Amino acid sequence: MDEHFHWKGYLAVMNSDGLFIQSSYVHEDQLVYGPDSDSTTMAIAAIQLMRDKGHLLESIHLSDSIDARIVYLATGVDSIAHNDDLQFDDIVWNLLSGEEATLVITKSNAESYDFEEPQDVEIIDAEFYNDMAEAWRLEEKTHHVSQGAYVSESQYLEGAPARLSLASQKVGGRMIWPPRQLDENGLRFSDGTHELVAEAHVVSWTKLSAAGAPSEFSLRAPILGGIQTLLVRFEQGPRGVFLVTDDLDYSPKIGDAVHFAVRRIYAQEGMMRYGLKAFPKR
Amino acid sequence: MNFVDRLNQMLVLLGCVMVDVAVIGAGQTKYGNHKLGLKGMWAEAAENAYSSVDRDFEPRQIDEAFIGSVAFGGAQLGNTAALLTEHSGLDGIPVRRVENACASSGFALRDAWMAIKSGQADIVVAGGIEKMNDLSAERKRFWLGVSGDTEWERLAGLTFPGTYALMARRHFHEHDSSHDDLVHISVKNHMHGFENEHAHIRKQVSFEKAESGFMVADPLTLYDCCPTSDGASCVILAADHVVRQFTDDPVWIQSSGAASDRLALHDRPSVTQLLATQKASKAAYSAAGLAPNDIDFAEVHDCFTIAELMATEDLGFADHGQGGVFAREGRGVRNQGSVCINPSGGLKSKGHPLGATGTGQAVEVFKQLTGTVEHSRQVRGAETGLTHNVGGSGATCAVHIFGRERNG
Repeated sequence: MDEHFHWKGYLAVMNSDGLFIQSSYVHEDQLVYGPDSDSTTMAIAAIQLMRDKGHLLESIHLSDSIDARIVYLATGVDSIAHNDDLQFDDIVWNLLSGEEATLVITKSNAESYDFEEPQDVEIIDAEFYNDMAEAWRLEEKTHHVSQGAYVSESQYLEGAPARLSLASQKVGGRMIWPPRQLDENGLRFSDGTHELVAEAHVVSWTKLSAAGAPSEFSLRAPILGGIQTLLVRFEQGPRGVFLVTDDLDYSPKIGDAVHFAVRRIYAQEGMMRYGLKAFPKR
Repeated sequence: MNFVDRLNQMLVLLGCVMVDVAVIGAGQTKYGNHKLGLKGMWAEAAENAYSSVDRDFEPRQIDEAFIGSVAFGGAQLGNTAALLTEHSGLDGIPVRRVENACASSGFALRDAWMAIKSGQADIVVAGGIEKMNDLSAERKRFWLGVSGDTEWERLAGLTFPGTYALMARRHFHEHDSSHDDLVHISVKNHMHGFENEHAHIRKQVSFEKAESGFMVADPLTLYDCCPTSDGASCVILAADHVVRQFTDDPVWIQSSGAASDRLALHDRPSVTQLLATQKASKAAYSAAGLAPNDIDFAEVHDCFTIAELMATEDLGFADHGQGGVFAREGRGVRNQGSVCINPSGGLKSKGHPLGATGTGQAVEVFKQLTGTVEHSRQVRGAETGLTHNVGGSGATCAVHIFGRERNG
């Protein structure tokens, strides 16, 4: 029996064959990714849904279009593309990319699969879709670089576990996020091996005009009509600031409960930077 | 130098006496969109400071210089202090650039004060400079958020308007404050700056106009934000045993306080208070033996109107949560309220050339306390003034208390 889900901005169907997941958006009769989604973000969402439903996923076969390092940092699920020490035959799960914005997770030894078609797709505004696609195309060029406050690849990767999976430190029952280096005694905090529960409430919010957006967002902010940011407090204490997912028309209120999904943040020097973005719990 | 001064100097060097420090001269450029380059702006500020000394002053008498700048006009050069000082008659002395974001020259002032307090120097320059308007529109984005937590805040879309907008909305939620209170601050600072010949924006603004400005970062509008300014400022400090060579009317630095806090807003225990301001001002009040109600006027760091509202609380001029009421009741208006807040027009009207702002505040205090400010801007009965210079969204803060009297 097929179960249908609206999951982190995607449409999913699960049954005994595994999971089928697709984008919610249609453009010119084709399924297309939303403004800050791609096959990597949807693969992460798919793995998270499988785990949420009790499936054990430790490793998976990934298609080339998916950033295996980001999948690993976000979910801890390894793949040969990220770790060539893995043995091909030991990997139980297979993630297959469709021609359009679709993915399937099924057992590696499965000979076939069958899923009902997800419901509730919506037609994305053509001008918005085309403008965003062009902005990303330009942003992904290797010469595109932030003017000023530059976050290097190494700095991004150092913070990636906290950014993608809320890796945090636990000190005497208190959670620390983002992770810190030395404490007041000059000793190292523990490794960021604990994960914050990704549930939080809005403490404050703002929407920055497109003209004032940081250069990382200068191509897309005018198309989005500005940049919306939430300051949230996690249920376990720490606070953080997060962008709202780009495909939401959301008017935040202080106290709103929010969830998180991995989405594209920006691209620089040919490298896509991913991170968690917030969306309201409904 | 007479015998008593020589004896005092020897005692200072021996560590037997702590020296007092005075401002004997101060000058700045006009803030705004400058045609002058960095060397020209610095020379103009230094020249104005030299000429403000009452008598017998030559730059060759200066022992050391501390110059604040965030990024030297976006050029991101090194060794910039030497480049500037060679164009202001200061060849050969120890110089360095001080960088603490928008509090760079507030800390340059503190460093200069400490150099004299320690007995290592008698006459020291503290200054600051920034040129922000000689970059293309795209490269100007360099300034957006460069001094914040780039890894987390900036990649969450935040620049400083956004960070302060988060503080404002939360303050409105927790306390008796609203955007109208910020509008009162904007109107007041434009009124104060209107007659300041060095101010970047010399325009009075009506409540209605300020209320309906273009939204920059909800809930902050254009009239809640300081302009992007070029400018330089320079103050000359002297040890007590040499002060009388130069003036009979010095402005004494009664105390200096400084502190830091977490760089990112989300890492701090409160988003509606700047703990660095609270700590720095507590240290300054304590060292001067003064309380907030002893201050006649204050140049506070109003990069955004909400920053002034919070500063009035954190500096103790209003109780916590009462900054909105303070603004609404006009308690910071020159010669009307309990303490004049930003008689220069503040960053909002006078302008904010990042690295120059801290010592620019000291220039205003010097002029107010020596009665050399434009007559219409004079704070009546001004005896004690305070400067409050904040770096970033509150990660660093320097507070100085100045007085006509040597001690508070």
